[in-house]
Order: sequence, then C-alpha cells, then structure tokens
Amino acid sequence: MPPPTDASQPRLATGCRWGGTEENRMILYPEGAMKLMGTGRQVLERCDGQRTFGEILSELQKEFDKTDPEKIRADIGMFLEQLQRKRIVDY
Amino acid sequence: MLFQPLAVIAEVTHRCPLHCVYCSNPTQLAAVSSELSTEEWISVFRQARKLGMLHAHFTGGEPLARTDLTELIAAARAAGLYTNLITSGIGLNEQRLQMLVEAGLDHIQVSFQDSREDAANWIGGAKAHAHKIELSHAIRRHKIAFTVNLVVHRQNLDHLEEMIAFIEQLQPERVEIAHTQYYGWALANRSALMPTRMQLERAVAIISEAEKRLAGRIRIDSVVPDYYAKYPKACMGGWGRRLMLVNPSGKVLPCHAAEVLPELCFENVREKSLEWIWQESESFRKFRGEEWMPEPCRSCDRRGEDFGGCRCQAFLLMGDDKATDPACSLAPTHGIVESAVKEANATAYVAKPSQASSFVQLQKLTNDLWSYRTNPE
Repeated sequence: MPPPTDASQPRLATGCRWGGTEENRMILYPEGAMKLMGTGRQVLERCDGQRTFGEILSELQKEFDKTDPEKIRADIGMFLEQLQRKRIVDY
Repeated sequence: MLFQPLAVIAEVTHRCPLHCVYCSNPTQLAAVSSELSTEEWISVFRQARKLGMLHAHFTGGEPLARTDLTELIAAARAAGLYTNLITSGIGLNEQRLQMLVEAGLDHIQVSFQDSREDAANWIGGAKAHAHKIELSHAIRRHKIAFTVNLVVHRQNLDHLEEMIAFIEQLQPERVEIAHTQYYGWALANRSALMPTRMQLERAVAIISEAEKRLAGRIRIDSVVPDYYAKYPKACMGGWGRRLMLVNPSGKVLPCHAAEVLPELCFENVREKSLEWIWQESESFRKFRGEEWMPEPCRSCDRRGEDFGGCRCQAFLLMGDDKATDPACSLAPTHGIVESAVKEANATAYVAKPSQASSFVQLQKLTNDLWSYRTNPE
C-alpha cells in the first residue's frame, strides 16, 4: 500500500477502537493496546473516516504553524502508513 | 502495583469438538461438572477490568461449546474489555455469529489445520475443514476483525506456501503462523510434530517473502519454535507480569501449562479475588522478579528479556521448575533439547494423511503415530 493521498479518508481498521480513560487514551486492537499521547493522539482522533487526509493535514499544519508543512505531511503520512501495515488504520 | 496485568485468558471450557494432536491443553482436562457458572465468569470480567486489564481472550477447549457464550462476551464488553474469541468455528453459524457481533465481539480468530481437507481433518481428528471455510466467508460479511491461526509442524510444513495462498483467499486482516509448542498433548506427540532443520529454514524464508508480498493487506505474526532458537522464549511476557489465565473450573494460572507444576497450589476465583491472587498469592509471586533464578540466568544479560524462559518446560523436560529453560543454548541441560532435535533430523519421514471418513477410523489408522486429544469427563 502506498502512503495516503489528500483524498484518502483514514479511519481505525475493523477490530480497532478507542479505550482506556480520558487521561490515558489507548487504541485497543486484537494483539494489544497502544497508548497515545501528543501528536499521535491528535492525528488519530481526526481519523474518523469523514475527514480527508488533506483536511487532517491542514488542521495540524495550522496547529503547528512553526513547523515546515512538508515535514508535517511526510511525518504523518509515514505514521499512518506504518499503522496501516499493522492493520490498525485503513485509508 | 509493580506489575500491571494486561489481559485475562478465559479458558471457558475444555470441551472441544476437535481433537488436534498439537493441542497444548493439559492432558488432565477440567471436568465439565466443575465449570464456572455464567455469573462466576461475569464476576471475573468485572474484576479483570477493575484491575486494569484491557483484553479478554476467550479460549478453551472450544468456547462455543458454552451455550452462554453470547452472554459472557456481552458482559466482558460491558465491563470495558476488548473481546477476542479464539475458536475452531465448530458450533458457529451465521446467526450465532451475528449474535456475538451484536453482543460486542471485537475480534475472531479461527484455527485452520491445513489447506488440504483430508490433511486438516486428519490433524484435527474431526471433519471440520469445509465448515471453517464456509464460516470464514460469513465472517467477512460482518463488521469484525478476523485472524486465521495456522499451527505448523513436521506434517504440514512441506506445503507452507500452499497453506499461505489458501489463507489469502479467506481474506483475514491477520494470520498467525505458530510453530507447535510442546505442552500437553503436543508434548506427548512431539516426535511426530517436530520439524527438521531444513523444514524450519525453508519456512522462515517463505514467511519472510509472504510478509513482503502481503504488506498492507494481511499482517503476519509468526512464532519461532524454541527448540531451534538460541535463547528461550519470554513465556507469557514473564511469570505473573502481564497475564492471568482462568481455567474452566476457576483456577487462576500464570500460563496455560502451569498446572503441571506439582509444588504450586493455584487459587480459585470461587475463593479469592483476582486482585488478591495477582498481588498476594504465592503461585503468582513465585517466579516473578529475579530472586528465584539460578545460574546462568542470574548473571545473564538477557534475564530481563526472557526471564529464564518457560518454567513449565523446565519442569516437563528436567523435572525442575527452577532450572534454566533447557531450550536456552546456555542452559547446562540444553543437551536434552539438542538430542530431541537430533532425533527429529535423523530422518525426514512425513506420514501421509490417512483417507478416512470418521474420527474413529482416523484414530485406528494413526494409532502408532500419535494420540488425539480427548474430551473431559
């Protein structure tokens, strides 16, 4: 699978869902759980199957306006691609 | 709390319609009359979540043999746990599957014994293969995560590529390719199941190629056989560190095989809380940490990674649950594993699956090769 395109609509894969508590948000998946903090959490909370990858990027580029937008695109694209390989995210 | 349990393994029954020769259940199965009631299981799930656990893995035996399974899954999910059903699929039709999904089942893991029908039924000692295929198609019509589990061994490794191609067609998100681990029935049948080194090396190459080819479509998790490894497996992520197993009659164990250890007494959820058992019981504390370790583990750099290996294997092979796991190449007793490996490699003999229409016939035909798993009283 290639990285997400601007039109991709990332979402949690079937069998993966949010769990834990508000202070300790986690993604639960078949083999385990992943604790999410900071940017990772901000990205995945936007992966609702509605927003496009382009929209998610522009929201986060606004939020982190001191960071090179191309770097944000590359980092988040790679993050989602890795989770897709683990079958935790689909897009 | 120094160690945080992550998951409860709910062995809800030892009854099973299959008789797999590689089954890791104890050869002393828990009697049907001793099984926990619905209410007792529900209490286990609530206690597990309260203790901070995140997953409930339903296994057995065959969990579907419990007529209250839907209720148990609903209760585990309501308690806040992620629910995983590990099953042969026998006893599941689309209607019951729908009920389980509605009850909140998150993930289903179906075992396949082979890609070839005769061989699969031969290993499982039951005519189950065709139903499993049908069920897999039904699973894909529902919103639920699907894993196929394939146990590999001497008798099926020669056509691993064919088995992977077969599983691809079932379209799971995940495949678990697990080499047989020698506990319970599998240990009794070890000589017929242990692969040759050549089979193993080919398997590693085939799996690595499949991982690349299927990346993004199917995730492959594979378990390497510890008899051929340099270091032992970190069994259960360490004794009493991550997991609690509740057996059909309510005994709480740190792992699937622990009941074989004669010096330990295991508590029962009918008498003690999960919290007390996790924190206070002698059985959970015995091999936690490093105090108990002998040399060479005690001064080994890897002691925090593999925790001295598997306590049950040390007992089963050496009669000493405090010894270094003989699977470790540094263990003074490693010779016993080396000679088993040597024996396995002395011949490349693979039995041919027997053509038989019934389990009884299969048992007769394969009498000399292995023992099929039986059912509890």
